[in-house]
Amino acid sequence: MSVSMIKNIRHYFSIYQSFIVTCFAESMNFRMHFLLLIIMDLFFYVSALASVYILYEHVPLIGSWNREQFLFFISIMLAVNQLTMTFVSESFWQFPLLIRTGNLDFILLKPANAIFSTFFRYVRPGSMVNVIFTWSATIYFGIQLDLNWFSWMILPFLVFMGFFLQNSIELVISCSMFWMLEGTGINFLRIELQQLSRWPDFIYQSFVRRILTLILPILLIGSAPARFLFDFNDIYPLLGMGLAIIFFWIILKFTWAAGLKAYESASS
Amino acid sequence: MANWSLKWFQTMKVYWSNLFVYRTNFFLQTIGPLFVFLFIKLSLWTSIYLSSQKSIIGGYTLEEMLAYHLWIMVASMIILTSSSQNLSEDIRLGKISSYLIYPFSFWEFHASNFAARQTVQVFIALLTVFILLILLPTYFSNISFLFFIQGLILSLMAGFFWFSLNYIIGLMAFWLEETWTLTVLTQVVTYFCSGAIIPLELYPLWLKEALFYTPFPYLGFVPVRTFMGESLLFWQSVLVLLGWILLINLISKLIWKKGIHLYTAAGM
Repeated sequence: MSVSMIKNIRHYFSIYQSFIVTCFAESMNFRMHFLLLIIMDLFFYVSALASVYILYEHVPLIGSWNREQFLFFISIMLAVNQLTMTFVSESFWQFPLLIRTGNLDFILLKPANAIFSTFFRYVRPGSMVNVIFTWSATIYFGIQLDLNWFSWMILPFLVFMGFFLQNSIELVISCSMFWMLEGTGINFLRIELQQLSRWPDFIYQSFVRRILTLILPILLIGSAPARFLFDFNDIYPLLGMGLAIIFFWIILKFTWAAGLKAYESASS
Repeated sequence: MANWSLKWFQTMKVYWSNLFVYRTNFFLQTIGPLFVFLFIKLSLWTSIYLSSQKSIIGGYTLEEMLAYHLWIMVASMIILTSSSQNLSEDIRLGKISSYLIYPFSFWEFHASNFAARQTVQVFIALLTVFILLILLPTYFSNISFLFFIQGLILSLMAGFFWFSLNYIIGLMAFWLEETWTLTVLTQVVTYFCSGAIIPLELYPLWLKEALFYTPFPYLGFVPVRTFMGESLLFWQSVLVLLGWILLINLISKLIWKKGIHLYTAAGM
């Protein structure tokens, strides 16, 4: 690693540290909101797990998965969701406002990467606390499945890959807001895609599954890690996940550049 | 009286024109999620029935289960429409000062917006039923005019209850900086407890019985069962919903009285 690269990483790390500090200071001023955010996420996590639990009271298998396998998959998806809620979700909601008000100008003028400053600006400390719940659930169901040491070692890495893939796709989609008068609706589209990805790939019929695996690979976010952990021979979805992350980052570079060309500052 | 209705109608007209300026947003925000939610549930339940090789789960055949979820989508179009977002923004940004001097109260303004939105939603719901009747007639073999009208009445009443609940959440802005967490929290709890994901027959008996002491089953399960031809409890459900509507409107009046004393007209 060259000296300039290390310098660069340090530079961005210090910026991110400042972002986190300001977000913490802000959330401590609104303690009730902070608390409600934790409760809201917890209710969502519990209802997601409880729904699957209730389903398995009536059937022994869904697809080829038993209760523990399905709940482990849901826990992985909740861990990905928790990372998204903590590190990027708020910035996605702020993005259409930045475009509409023209405040994106100030970000473009800053001596830092604009994508980084736009989408990693806000952290939700309230959601950060819920890492305890999501990882407890993941570990609990992992123990039930008797995962081996290798699976435990790569589990955090796989969750982060899921997080990166989900957000690479969503960043590309969010660039469409540059061409819209009011882009908030795109955030609802993002949420719908998250909803689709929150269920294992085998529940969808062949045609839809192919589209959501090969063209818009949202089904790889949770299914690829879970399938690999259940069977190490099932590695192709995981490889596809790595390729998809690289592919969507390349696409992002172009869509972001095209979006900026289309962007008209609100005051101009 | 004519003057009063004119005020309501003019406000509704303004709401309609605002709504249709951002048509893409309206679709992505309101209609799209319901279709995605339906698609997930149809895929999930088909997969559950096929893999378990059971013909009846919780008293439902596959056709009945799919019909249940199609009706849930139709009912949700009428029931779960209003949001407290604009309302809380009015309070937080000090916009309610105008309503304090206008001859059209804060409640009347938001209720007329709700009425305008509800008109559009009912139209979309009726259109959806018409299309579904043509495309998927087998799932609607039980439909009758009487059941449909009874289901529609219950859905409209439940929709008004949902608006009143959101009105209270919006009024929380007198005390809280942000109320969207409360809105999302209510939505998550409602989806789980109303039978929108899984019919309440599949829940453990103790939970099902407990839920009937809350308004949640009336926001999904009860109207849908009525649409499907189970109208034995129609009048009882009407009375229960009326009771909840009265109670929640009484609470909202009390909260308004308390809140308005705290109001500082920010930015005035």
